[in-house]
Amino acid sequence: MSDLDLDPVIGIDLGTTNSVVATVIDGVPRVIQNRNGQLLTPSIVAIAKNGRRLVGQIAKRQAITNAESTVFAAKRLIGRRWGSREVEDARKVLPYELVPGPDGNDVRVRMAERVWPVPEISALVLSELKSDAEAFFGRRVTRAVVTVPAYFNDGQRQATKDAGRIAGLDVMRIINEPTSAALAYGFGKSVEKKVVVFDLGGGTFDVSILDIGKSVYDVVGVGGDTYLGGEDFDRRVMDWLTFTFAKEHDGVDLRQDKMALQRLRDAAEKAKCELSAAPGSSIHLPFLVGGGEGRPALHLEKQLLREKLEELTHDLVDRCIQVTDRTLRDAGVRPSQIGDVILVGGMTRMPRVQRAVREFFGREPSRGVHPEEVVALGAAIQGHALAHPAKGSTEVLLLDVTPQNLGIMVVGGYFQTIIQKNTTVPTSQTHIFTTSQDNQAAVRIAVLQGASEKAIENELLGEFVLPGLRPARRGDIEVEVTFDITADGIVGVSARDLMTGQRQSITVTATSGLTEEELKRIMDENLDELLEKKQVVSDFERRRETAERLIAGIEALVPAVTAALARSRFGKDAVQKAEAVVQRARASIAARDGAQLGGLEEQLDRTLQLFKGLAGGNAGEGHT
Amino acid sequence: MGPVISTPGPERARPRGTVSGDRYRSFVFAPADLAEDVDLPVELKKEILYLHARLGEIDHWELLGVDWNASADAARAAYLGKVKVFHPDRHGGRRLGTYLGRIEKIFRALTEARDVLGDEPRRAEYAKRTAPPDEFARMETRRLEDEARTGERRARLARGNPLVARVARVQDLVRRGKQAMAEGKFSQAANDFFTVLGLDPRHVEARALADEAKKRATAERARALYERAVESETVGNRHAAVAAAREAAETDPANPRYATFASRLALEVGDVEEARALAEQAVRAGPREGRALEALGAALQAQGHAKEARRALERALELDPALESAKALLKKLRWSFLG
Repeated sequence: MSDLDLDPVIGIDLGTTNSVVATVIDGVPRVIQNRNGQLLTPSIVAIAKNGRRLVGQIAKRQAITNAESTVFAAKRLIGRRWGSREVEDARKVLPYELVPGPDGNDVRVRMAERVWPVPEISALVLSELKSDAEAFFGRRVTRAVVTVPAYFNDGQRQATKDAGRIAGLDVMRIINEPTSAALAYGFGKSVEKKVVVFDLGGGTFDVSILDIGKSVYDVVGVGGDTYLGGEDFDRRVMDWLTFTFAKEHDGVDLRQDKMALQRLRDAAEKAKCELSAAPGSSIHLPFLVGGGEGRPALHLEKQLLREKLEELTHDLVDRCIQVTDRTLRDAGVRPSQIGDVILVGGMTRMPRVQRAVREFFGREPSRGVHPEEVVALGAAIQGHALAHPAKGSTEVLLLDVTPQNLGIMVVGGYFQTIIQKNTTVPTSQTHIFTTSQDNQAAVRIAVLQGASEKAIENELLGEFVLPGLRPARRGDIEVEVTFDITADGIVGVSARDLMTGQRQSITVTATSGLTEEELKRIMDENLDELLEKKQVVSDFERRRETAERLIAGIEALVPAVTAALARSRFGKDAVQKAEAVVQRARASIAARDGAQLGGLEEQLDRTLQLFKGLAGGNAGEGHT
Repeated sequence: MGPVISTPGPERARPRGTVSGDRYRSFVFAPADLAEDVDLPVELKKEILYLHARLGEIDHWELLGVDWNASADAARAAYLGKVKVFHPDRHGGRRLGTYLGRIEKIFRALTEARDVLGDEPRRAEYAKRTAPPDEFARMETRRLEDEARTGERRARLARGNPLVARVARVQDLVRRGKQAMAEGKFSQAANDFFTVLGLDPRHVEARALADEAKKRATAERARALYERAVESETVGNRHAAVAAAREAAETDPANPRYATFASRLALEVGDVEEARALAEQAVRAGPREGRALEALGAALQAQGHAKEARRALERALELDPALESAKALLKKLRWSFLG
């Protein structure tokens, strides 16, 4: 029986910078290409000038000219509270605007005159991937397993689940990225050892320790930093570029120019990636900012060496190792007991990161997995195992753990842990508490999640009241509080008066900032949008590719042409003219205006021919 | 692979517990439970009902299906095998009815057993607590034997180890020295204490005791010599008396009595030089000792130093006016002077 006959299940790695979708076909996990033929889909969404929603590569391409209405790295905001440190930090560096939600708790994004809840932004990416999977299967896909960083709290997981619902997906399970990677790593082999997954992605760092045996993946420890990833490395490069640029050009601050900043961001990321393979990379950004007052535009020309990159980012690498060390300690495992280290996430391609891992564990990390695809593959394997538990080929079982301490608030505003971090789920724990005041009539149970001793510094998941206690001296009434977590991570809390047997309970559905009505409304809207989206964009896409090829050609020749013009008596304004044409073409691409782009094609071509001539003449002069 | 594992594997020989092959013999299944319409094979239903009912009474070993005192690794491995049957995820998409709650409870108990038995210190502690009676008795015997053996071993170690041996020897010698002191055997005590100082030069108590013992041993010996001298004189053996008295004075130069006595004897046998030297020693040891000065005066007089002799005798009388012999000598000198 082929898996195609079964209802398809997909696994989605919803990343900070890129997302991947995978499935299991005939017992073999594989990545599904998107409709552009690529495996990675940028987690970027945008609203074009003409109001159309753009997702993925298309959105990424126009980000430069449409910075305010292009949203990337939404994962850093999902399920976060307004006013938290993470959100405040993000506000400083993100080119798009963040606003508080209606109840002032969650974060929302302003994109093209509309305020979007973050799950809805993520939903756009998810539904893009869903469409890619549907194109692949040729039928509807509704069930998915979505991955999140291991250190995500309940709120962030719930928000991710909501994003799935908005995208029309039944999210069977939210699983941790490193665990997912381990599933893909162990697939098809018989692994009997402890492994560490070292996952340094675009925005988050996760480390997990698993004990694998008999196809059971037992997570024994997780740790990480939700605010440490590739983008921090990019930002170090960007800061270095803006700083040196300001020094060389009388204090011109590139951060004031959103378009320049976006190009800088792309260039920094590209240079960083190149340095994983080469010892040096040149950053070349012509016409980066206007000189102002009739002066020519400024270009950025810079050489970045691998040593310099390592110097700029060494503290970030150190932080990764510190977190790894702490996680191993928490789990009571020594580095020497680890049988394999799996590197996940694009950032682990960086030689300095690999070296740090090798030095810490005293062993060569595993090279058997593809760091960008492995998480989605694992999610697909888990999805398949959940949907078809009795099938032999994918008979895997994942034993996940609670990522953070769960407990309640006690007298004095302290946090009393009831379920320790790293407890295997499903689980339940019971504690007995007593009243703190004479004749106390009710107890308030505030359910919290986090690592701090002070209740207020932890995440509030929900609260309820157990009323009707009989009058008694303080300490005489005993209340039994039970925490219960099911396999899919749903937390139930109940409180029982041991004397009367009276009972109160809640199921903690961490709030993602979206109310149920809001969710429904968004889902209805999305349906209309999806129907409209069917139209094909091939004509525009073809034009865009031509234009981009021409622009790249022109930009590559700018240094040679500038040099040639410096020695020539004519055509002084050629570079400025070229700049204007390139700008117009970029704007058309951003607006997805195929007609206007078609008109510009000829101008671009002429400019390129002119540049080729000038650059060639220059080369000729060089020879005489 | 076929359906999920539904029957327990062949039971290993266990110190106690159920008999292989008839696991559910003494267990009564409620017909309503068995009849519930769920997507589970009947063997698995039985196993779930059986384990769920017995959760409170069976220990972690039996739950995981391992022998008492199995290793942490064995317990972990058994756990991984068991959870493949009792994790709710392994039954996704099936109708489980009331069985879901039972499966989850069993899973939690399995995890708890793994948490204890998979962690070596907790496992060892639990093994001790849950040991079967015969096993417990055996362990207790072994523990006692071990204790006795440990004591023996420690003693042997002490003998073999030079450092430990030396400490023991020092303690021994100090104790013996003190006892000798108490018994008045000062020279023996001094000998012990000096041996201690040789082994441990910083032994403060031994140093103080050694000096004390030495002083007292010397005094003892000097007195013995003096007594012998007195005895020899009484029997008329003057030369022997001189020799003994001289030795006493040498042994305990701090005591003027011995030198004085020796000086007098020497003068009597006619050894004037010796008499003067001994008298001078006596005066040095006891400058305010009348008899010493008297002896010096006598020696000086014998040597013919009349003036010095008179001065010494006058001083002797000044210190001890009762010295008749000194008076007599002085008178003689005066006479001589006048004459």
